[in-house]
Amino acid sequence: MFLTRSEYDRGVNTFSPEGRLFQVEYAIEAIKLGSTAIGIETTEGVLLVVEKRVTSGLLEADSIEKILEIDSHLGCAMSGLTADSRTMIDHARVEAQNHRFTYNEPLKVESVTQAVCDLALRFGEGAEGEKSIMSRPFGVALLIAGVDENGPQLYHADPSGTYVRYKAKAIGAGSEGAQTELQDDYFQTMGLVEAEDLALKVLKQVMEEKLNVKNIQVASVTAADGFQIYPDEKLQAIVDRL
Amino acid sequence: MHVRPSTHPTSQAKEAAFSPYEDHGGTNLAIAGPDYCLLASDTRQSNGYNINTRFAPKTFKLSNKSVLATAGCQPDCAMVTTRVKQSMLTYKHNHNKEMSTSAIAQMLSIMLYQRRFFPYYDFNILGGLDEDGKGCVYSYDAVGSYERVPCSAFGSASALIQPFLDNQVRNKNQLGKPKVTEFEPVTPLPLAEALRICKDSFTSATERDIYTGDYLQIFIITREGVEEQIHELKKD
Amino acid sequence: MSSVNFKSTRATQAATPITHSGGPVVTGTSVLGIKYKDGVMLAADCLASYGSLARFRDVDRLQPVGEHTVVGASGDIGDFQYVQDLLEKSMIHEFYTADGHALATPHIYSYLSRLMYQRRSQMNPLWNSYLVGGLNDSGEPFLGYIDLIGTTYQSSTIATGFGAYLAQPILRKAVEGRENEITEEEAIKIIDDCMRVLFYRDARSLNKFRRAKVTKEGVTVTEPYSLTTEWGFAENIIGYGA
Repeated sequence: MFLTRSEYDRGVNTFSPEGRLFQVEYAIEAIKLGSTAIGIETTEGVLLVVEKRVTSGLLEADSIEKILEIDSHLGCAMSGLTADSRTMIDHARVEAQNHRFTYNEPLKVESVTQAVCDLALRFGEGAEGEKSIMSRPFGVALLIAGVDENGPQLYHADPSGTYVRYKAKAIGAGSEGAQTELQDDYFQTMGLVEAEDLALKVLKQVMEEKLNVKNIQVASVTAADGFQIYPDEKLQAIVDRL
Repeated sequence: MHVRPSTHPTSQAKEAAFSPYEDHGGTNLAIAGPDYCLLASDTRQSNGYNINTRFAPKTFKLSNKSVLATAGCQPDCAMVTTRVKQSMLTYKHNHNKEMSTSAIAQMLSIMLYQRRFFPYYDFNILGGLDEDGKGCVYSYDAVGSYERVPCSAFGSASALIQPFLDNQVRNKNQLGKPKVTEFEPVTPLPLAEALRICKDSFTSATERDIYTGDYLQIFIITREGVEEQIHELKKD
Repeated sequence: MSSVNFKSTRATQAATPITHSGGPVVTGTSVLGIKYKDGVMLAADCLASYGSLARFRDVDRLQPVGEHTVVGASGDIGDFQYVQDLLEKSMIHEFYTADGHALATPHIYSYLSRLMYQRRSQMNPLWNSYLVGGLNDSGEPFLGYIDLIGTTYQSSTIATGFGAYLAQPILRKAVEGRENEITEEEAIKIIDDCMRVLFYRDARSLNKFRRAKVTKEGVTVTEPYSLTTEWGFAENIIGYGA
């Protein structure tokens, strides 16, 4: 399989005769090595849940951050080469703040997603005069959650710069199984509590380790409270419900 | 290379230094009501004692919810209007929605302040409806300082009209009438009353201010959209 | 070492501010323009003055641009010739595409206004006032004004320079409200009457004029012509002449 591609998977900006950009596809593959992340859009807000791989008892679990705040009404979960997300999150935060400064209003969820995706294909040699371009595509996928005038929304952005809105989406190592589960159990009128139960149930099934408050992170974005990362006590209550 | 030997007495510049600004006169007025906003401008453009033209509109509809009135140096007014319209279009392309009046207000402020050291000589009033459907008036200075006010007059006859508005719209110095403070977002005036005050303001200003006259353009912004009227003013 | 020059050339140059043209040098006086039934009529005399010296006596200040536009210039003749050059270049550039589209009056007017505003914003103005006469997109008469700071306005009668004081009142009385009634013959009479007044009273004028008209048929500029004048009254003025 790989032999047939060998001529065309070197240059990051080179199309194969079949019209594919292998480096981008490989980058998407890289996501599947990452820890699982799940996002669920509900009528009350959007829920983000991620698995943290606590590989050693000596590791400080709190130091793993895979859900980040972009703005008070925008949050983001990630999977893949999380270091790559720094550039994207930085950009998203600047865009969100800049929008507030210029227009005195919060940035829309779709707009922040678009802003992040604008960065995705800026790799390779670049056109004449273009400087500081990236050497390879991002190796990370994002679940961007937020609430704006159009209500709660969840977007998935991948290394190809494509973004799609989802009602519920799983990314990372366990995404295939998780997505099937979500598809079966998601329902339109779902509230946040039901989403919490569903997300943790699904995550528990796809995680290798036993799920506990130390190896997951949960956050929600609601109209009333904006972006909030769940504290341990709240997390414990959900785990106890499982 | 020395173009002018600086010590030579006859080589002093004969012309006065170039000034990039001129005042082209004209007056704007705006009143925010509970469910409407009213903006009015005369259409005379002057240059000193000359009337350039009797009909040069300087107030423009930006969207179904907002109207921008400009007064001062005509080229700067035209440039600001064009740039606001362009930015609104870019915003629409980027965010897939029409800009709200408050968003335009903040953007305009920044646009003006960016030229802090070579200002647009342009006094703006932005009028429209806010997110709650209430009338809103934002008034600016040339370098972008702005505030939301219940009513405002700007331009060559502003000193004639503003005190009249203070008295008639905000009930200043009127015993026993409820005051409308500058912190109030809207005046309680019904539209018909605001229109009457607006027309009276301009007919009176036309009598005393040589830079105001010819035609009166009135924009009425309601939930239904923007209605534009043209009335005659004296042409002398 | 012979000397150490503390007063370096560079420092002296840095202290010298950039200077632009201090004012007009060789100048043309008023240009008049009116709208009438069939289109627009413009007029200007043939004099280019150097201060009070009548320096050049056969200068054409009415420039046809494309099929249906005339640009009339007052102020610095050198700057006008530069603008003529730019206009010709853009007309040729537009012609290259050979798509049948040519710049019409409103486009030329807009281009000129941007040019003038740009130069004033660089504090290096083109020292002119321009009249642009022609037809708008719907084929109706178009008459617009642009000056050295980028001021623009349109009107059915416009006069630049001294004409704003001497001719504009006569033009307004003759034309305002009658734009659609005035025949070519009457338009010529109105314009000529004003040019005569200007010749009588403007010390920087010449009794040698060109007149241009723009109608649906196109642009026509007359050969230079003179108007009959009456100086007999001067004999009765004490202190004047003989």
